Amino acid sequence: MVNNALPRPVQQLINEFSRLPGIGSKSAARLTFFLLRSGGQLALDLSVALQELKEKTRFCSICFNITEEEPCLICQDDTRDKRLLCVVEEPLDLLALERARAYSGQYHVLHGAISPIEGIGPEDLRIDELVKRVSEGDFDEIILATNPTLEGESTALYLKRRLADTGVRMTGLARGLSVGGDLEYTDEITLGRALDGRVDL
Amino acid sequence: MLESGHSQKGWTSPQESLRYLFMHITHLSLTNFRNYGRLELDLPLGSILLHGENAQGKTNLLEAIYYLATSRSPQADQDSQLINWDAAEAGDSVVVGRLIAQVATQAGSRHIEIRLIQEQGLSLRDGQRSFRRQALVDRRKVRLMDLLGNLRVVMFLPQDMQIVTGSPSERRRYLDITLCQIDPIYCRTLSGYNKTVEQRNALLRQIGEGTSSQDLLPVYSDKLIELGSRIFARRSLFLGELAREAQRVHYEELTKGTESIRLRYLPRLQENGSGSRGSVGPLIALSEWLQENQMDQPAIQAKFSEALAAAQANDIARGATSVGPHRDDWRFWINGRDLSRYGSRGQQRSAILALKMAEINWMNAATGESPILLLDEVLAELDEHRREMLLSYVLKSSQALLTATDPAMFTAGFMKQSTSMTVSNGRVQPDDD
Repeated sequence: MVNNALPRPVQQLINEFSRLPGIGSKSAARLTFFLLRSGGQLALDLSVALQELKEKTRFCSICFNITEEEPCLICQDDTRDKRLLCVVEEPLDLLALERARAYSGQYHVLHGAISPIEGIGPEDLRIDELVKRVSEGDFDEIILATNPTLEGESTALYLKRRLADTGVRMTGLARGLSVGGDLEYTDEITLGRALDGRVDL
Repeated sequence: MLESGHSQKGWTSPQESLRYLFMHITHLSLTNFRNYGRLELDLPLGSILLHGENAQGKTNLLEAIYYLATSRSPQADQDSQLINWDAAEAGDSVVVGRLIAQVATQAGSRHIEIRLIQEQGLSLRDGQRSFRRQALVDRRKVRLMDLLGNLRVVMFLPQDMQIVTGSPSERRRYLDITLCQIDPIYCRTLSGYNKTVEQRNALLRQIGEGTSSQDLLPVYSDKLIELGSRIFARRSLFLGELAREAQRVHYEELTKGTESIRLRYLPRLQENGSGSRGSVGPLIALSEWLQENQMDQPAIQAKFSEALAAAQANDIARGATSVGPHRDDWRFWINGRDLSRYGSRGQQRSAILALKMAEINWMNAATGESPILLLDEVLAELDEHRREMLLSYVLKSSQALLTATDPAMFTAGFMKQSTSMTVSNGRVQPDDD
């Protein structure tokens, strides 16, 4: 959208905002004018935050999570189990597992899942690094915690093949009912998997 | 459960009527759907005759119901064609088309809804307006797939003949839409399978171009084998049941014992040497093998795996997967000959009618409820005997909607048992008795 009635900096910010996912040209204009009218501090704080986002963060050289320090705080933490490794697709998945406070091992972030349609192959993900890390490391178990989608499951199957030689035990997360959910509203596939994975009481 | 006044409609025995009385739509509401800007319509039980001039919205009404039941349009390939643009243009830029049916079933009343939502801006790919569909059951958002099964329909269209004469994809579409209405697990398996085929084909092309290595291929092949074998088995079972019933209906009800058809599954469990014109002999043999082994998943997986391996070099060269249920077909034979090539138009019409009647009986048996019948101008082209047969199914169903430009073709007796409504320029008005 090019509009001569708008000063160049205003138009430029609208253009930048509208490149973000989920933001159309109307939302972009609304955000821009909100910042234009608000006090000076809000826009400046935002610009500092944006700059620091790129300048002060990096990928951890061990697990490839996003970090300010090298290596990241999780990899530095000696109280965590060094023999347990959990593989996730995205940093947000790692965050979700940390919020659950049920896991205290190491992580490896792939930064995506294999999807030939989108042109994403194993070489586009941190898979070679994972294979190297596992074969050189001393792990008892690797938890393949990719998403239960076709792409996530295919990625896990591929990793299983690639890591087979290491002889390390590999596990996947259980598929089943969500806690606090309702049997009646659970879809048939999930219910079937929950039945297959039933546990002794 | 019985509504007052229904007994006047000529049901013979209460036992029989009860058996068929369940699923029906009590209210239909459309917003910006085709030529309907806004429609609120109460629907009674039994047969409903929609009459009016051409292009007034008779077919669109049946299409709306079909869409709510199957999430597919019987004709249009794109959802954008379903929207009433004249009405939509006036309002906000994000216009919502809406289809709602209040459905009474054995299990109680259900509110099912599909919303058509226009995304902001134009699609980058083709410059068309892009759409999102949202499905709701009892006002809870569900995946579109989970909508299926809440409302079951069997539709009769003049262009149904294409199921016999058209391409294999027409026949697969019919098969899948019918089976998905009854079997949600099949529907999910199919959806996962189709995605796997797309991923595998993309990978095959990349391997062919040398941009990807072959070590990823077994991952997709294994997934294809796992899901595809279940689809082979389910289709074999379903087509076996449907074939038996269609053959019976055709022989006993439609041709009074003078002609017999045969319906056969042609599973693509093997590469078909000379393309679509190749001999069907080996596929018939596989179909029979599948019938005997349809409960044996490991055996089917082994066979499918073998076929995939045999086709692999060709598949890489072509950049597409050549075996698997996505290439399946099924066909009719009449007196031992292919109906699509050697059958007369009358024979083809009888076969389609037998298929649809069998579908009704099959759904009845599978669910204990009669599906809602949608008949679009199909009676005009039938002879008297076939018309009577079809109307007997209409009168047995809990609810049927028929369209006709000329209501005079119906007998007084039928009219007496039906509710008739006039459709004119996107409005529907019940006729006075």
